[in-house]
Amino acid sequence: MATVTKLDNGLKVILKQIPGATAVSVWIGYHIGSRNERPGMTGSTHWVEHMLFKGGGKLKKGDIDLLIGRLGGKLNAFTDTDFTAYFETVPADAFDTALFIEAERMRNAAFEQKEFESERTVVISEREGAENMPEFVAEEELWSNAFHIHPYHWLPIGWKQDLQRLDRDTMYRHYLRYYAPNNAAMVVVGGFDEAAIMEKIRQRFGGFKPEQPPEPMNLKEPPQMGERRSVIRKPGSLDHIFAGWHIPEFSHDDTPKLAMLSAVLAGWRGYHPFAAIGWQPRSNRLYKALVEAKLAIDVTCRAEVKIDPGLLVSHVAVRSGVPPEKAERVLFNEIEKIKQKPPAKVELDVARTQIRAWSGFENDGVTYQGMITTFFEMAGGFEKYDHTISAVDRVTAKDIQDVARKYLTENNRTVVHFLAEEVKA
Amino acid sequence: MSLQPQRIVLDNGIAVLYHPMPANPFVAFHGCLWAGTASEDKRGVAEFTARLLLGGTKTRKSSKLAEDIEKLGATLEFRNAEEAVHFGGKCPRETAPRVFGIMVDCLSNPSFPQSEVEKERGEILDEIKMDMDDTARRAAKELMASLYPNHLYGKDPRGEVTDVKRIKRSDLVSHHKASYGPKGMIVVMSGDVDRGLVEKRISPVLSRFEGEGERPKLPVPAPAKKATKIIPMPHKSQADIAVGLRAIPRNHKDFHALNMANLLFGRIGMYGRLGKNLRDTQGLAYYSFSTLDPRLVAGHWAIAMGVNPENLRKAVDGIRLETDRLHKEPLTDQEISDGKDNQIGSLKVSLERNAEMAGELFRMEYFGLGLDYLKRFPEMIRSLTAEQIHEAAEKYIRIEDCSLAVAGPVGRDQEKKLQLS
Repeated sequence: MATVTKLDNGLKVILKQIPGATAVSVWIGYHIGSRNERPGMTGSTHWVEHMLFKGGGKLKKGDIDLLIGRLGGKLNAFTDTDFTAYFETVPADAFDTALFIEAERMRNAAFEQKEFESERTVVISEREGAENMPEFVAEEELWSNAFHIHPYHWLPIGWKQDLQRLDRDTMYRHYLRYYAPNNAAMVVVGGFDEAAIMEKIRQRFGGFKPEQPPEPMNLKEPPQMGERRSVIRKPGSLDHIFAGWHIPEFSHDDTPKLAMLSAVLAGWRGYHPFAAIGWQPRSNRLYKALVEAKLAIDVTCRAEVKIDPGLLVSHVAVRSGVPPEKAERVLFNEIEKIKQKPPAKVELDVARTQIRAWSGFENDGVTYQGMITTFFEMAGGFEKYDHTISAVDRVTAKDIQDVARKYLTENNRTVVHFLAEEVKA
Repeated sequence: MSLQPQRIVLDNGIAVLYHPMPANPFVAFHGCLWAGTASEDKRGVAEFTARLLLGGTKTRKSSKLAEDIEKLGATLEFRNAEEAVHFGGKCPRETAPRVFGIMVDCLSNPSFPQSEVEKERGEILDEIKMDMDDTARRAAKELMASLYPNHLYGKDPRGEVTDVKRIKRSDLVSHHKASYGPKGMIVVMSGDVDRGLVEKRISPVLSRFEGEGERPKLPVPAPAKKATKIIPMPHKSQADIAVGLRAIPRNHKDFHALNMANLLFGRIGMYGRLGKNLRDTQGLAYYSFSTLDPRLVAGHWAIAMGVNPENLRKAVDGIRLETDRLHKEPLTDQEISDGKDNQIGSLKVSLERNAEMAGELFRMEYFGLGLDYLKRFPEMIRSLTAEQIHEAAEKYIRIEDCSLAVAGPVGRDQEKKLQLS
C-alpha cells in the first residue's frame, strides 16, 4: 500500500513501506525523455543523465560513487523516451544519504565544460557499442520509420551527428528547465518510518522553487496509411525481422487486452526491463510456429508502455538457412489466425497466470519495486500497473481477437529486415 | 534479518538449503548437479544434453512441458557450464512442489526426441555464429583460450561447429545415463519458503530423483600462455578489449584480499580506479571494469572495455598505467577503509532480492564456505590488513603477465603496437 503526498512545490512523493526490510530504495523520476527533444538535440536528455553523476552544489565530482560505495549500496539511472529516473538503494538507516544526493542532483549539477567534453566520447562510445549489435540497428530503423512526426522517431541515445555537435549551454538549459520539483516524482520503498522520512524529504526538497511547467509535447503521429518497409544490409551472423504496429498510449483501455494479446502470441516476460533476462517462454503461438518449426531461434512480442501512442513490436531472430520472407510469412499468418479465431481457454489461462506471477517476480525486493513504481508513475500513474495486472482477469478471448483486428493490420505496420551479409575474414 | 540458512541432506544425496524472505511472496530457486562439461567424454555433449532437458520427457512432449510450467506461473531453466549443470527458476509458493516435480521429471526422464535434437543443434550452431560476430564475446573467448590452454575453462562449453555437427542422439542418452544423478546435487530456495514447505512438500519430490552421476575430478589447468591477439571485425563500430591473467580458485586463502584489491581497482562506484581514469577523466569508454572470476580449481582476473578503435592505443596505455599504479601507488588506507565499508554494507543491500539471496546461498554450498559464512563475513572483511591487500595485488595483478585480446574494426598490424609490457 502506498502513501502519496504532494509538497507545496509540486514534488509528488510515493512511499511504500516494507516492515522489516533492511534496505531502502530511493527513486526519483523526471518527466523528461527523448520525446521532449527536438531534431538537432537528440540524445541530450540521456547526456544530461550522465552529467548528473559528476557532482555540483555540495557534491564534488566522485562523491556520489563514494557515498553510496561506502554504504555498499546500489545506484544507477535510466533515460527512456518518456522519462529519466535515478536511484540509490542503501541500508535502511542511511536513507538520508540518498535524499541528499537526489536533492543536489535536482538543482545543483555542476555541468563543467571539461566534464561535458569528456562525457561526449563516453556517450558516443555507448552508442557505438550498441551499433555493434544488429538488434539495435534494426530497432532504431523500425522506430524512425514508424514515426515520422513524433519524437519516438529517434531512440533515447540520439543520433551520432547530434552527439558530435551538441554544446554544453544547450544541455544546461535543458537541465534547468526540466529538473524541477514540479516535474518530478519521488518513490521510496523499504524499511523506514514514514513520518521520519517525510520530514527529511521536506527538509531536503521543500525549499526548491517550482519552475514554469514545461510546455506540453503536442506532436501527434498521423495515422499510418500503408505498410512501411526497409531493409538493412550489413555484415552479420543472422537475419532479423522487426515488425511494429501502432498501438495507443499506456493509459488507454485497450492496454490490458494488448498485454494479453502479446502474451498469447509470444509469452510474457514482465514489464520490468531486467527481470526476465534469460527466460524464454515456450508455450505460445509464435514460439511453436517459428522456433519449434525450426524457422527461428528466438521470437518476442511486447506492447510498449508509452505516454503517447507507441508500438507493439515483434522480433524474430531468423534461423540460418531460412529465407526471412518465409519466417515473416509465418509470423503474419499467426497474427491472421488470431484475428480469424479467438484464442483457446488454455491460452488465456496460461497468459493470465504468467502475467500475475510475473507481477510478483518483477517486484522482487525494494529496488525492483522502486523501479516498477517509478516507471509506471512516469507512464501516467503508478496505480495503473496494478490496474493493468488485475484487468487482465477480465480480458476475454473476444477482446484479444478485437484488438488484434483493430491494431495488427497491414496498413498500420512497419517492417524492418536486417539481412546479414557474409563477414569477410 | 537472520543470515543463517537451513540445510538438510536428502537420502539420495541432494543438499537442500533454504532461507525465508517473506516480504517477497514467491519462491526463487537455483542449483546444480555434476553433469557439466567436466563430465563429458565427447566435446559439446554436456551442453547439448542440458539444453534438451526441456525438449520432452517420457510422459510429456516439449510443448506439454512448456504448458505445464507456465500454467503454474513458473519459470524453469537449465544451463550447462564447465563444472556443472545449473538450473533455476521462480514460482508462487503454492505451485512450488509441482514445479520441482516437473524439474525432477526433466532431470530423470528426458526423451531426446530426434526432432528436438535437430532443433537444438541448429540453435547451438546459430548461437556460435552470433558469438563469432560479437566483439565482446570474441575478445573474451580468445582471452580464455590463452589463460587456460587445452583446459575446459578455456573452451566453449558448446564445443566447436564440427563437434556440434557430429553429436548423435545416442551420445546424449549415454551422457545422461552416466552423469545425471542426485549425489552431491545442490538445491537452494529463498523467498516465500519455510520448513513445512521445504521439508514436508518439496523434499519428498526431490527424493524421487535417482541416477548414476558422480562429482568429476577437475583437472588443474596448465600455466597460461601469454598472448596478444587481434580479431579484425571491420564492420563493427567499436572495439572490445579483454586483458587478463590467471589468479586463484575461490577457496584460496588470498581470495578476500585479492577480491578487495579488485573491487577498488575496477568495480566499486564508476568502476574503481580504472573507471575513474579511463571513463571519467579521459572519456574513452562507456564501460571499463575488472572482474575476479574464481572457480573450483583455478581462477582468473580480467579487464573488459569497449572503445572507439581510434582510442585503442590510449586505452591500452591507460590499462597499463593503472595496473602499474596499483603497485607504485598502492591502495591507500582511505581506499581500503571505503572498500571494507562497501563490502560490509552490501550485506544489507545486495541480498534484498530472492534471486540474489538464492545466488549467495548457492555459492556458500558450491564452494563449501559454511552455513555461517554470511555471519562471519563482516569480521573476515574487517580483519583484512592493508599488507594482505597490497601483497595480493602485487602477487596476482601483474600487467607484464597479462594476455590481451582485441576484437573490432582493428587491423592485425596493431598486434605489435599493443603490447602490454
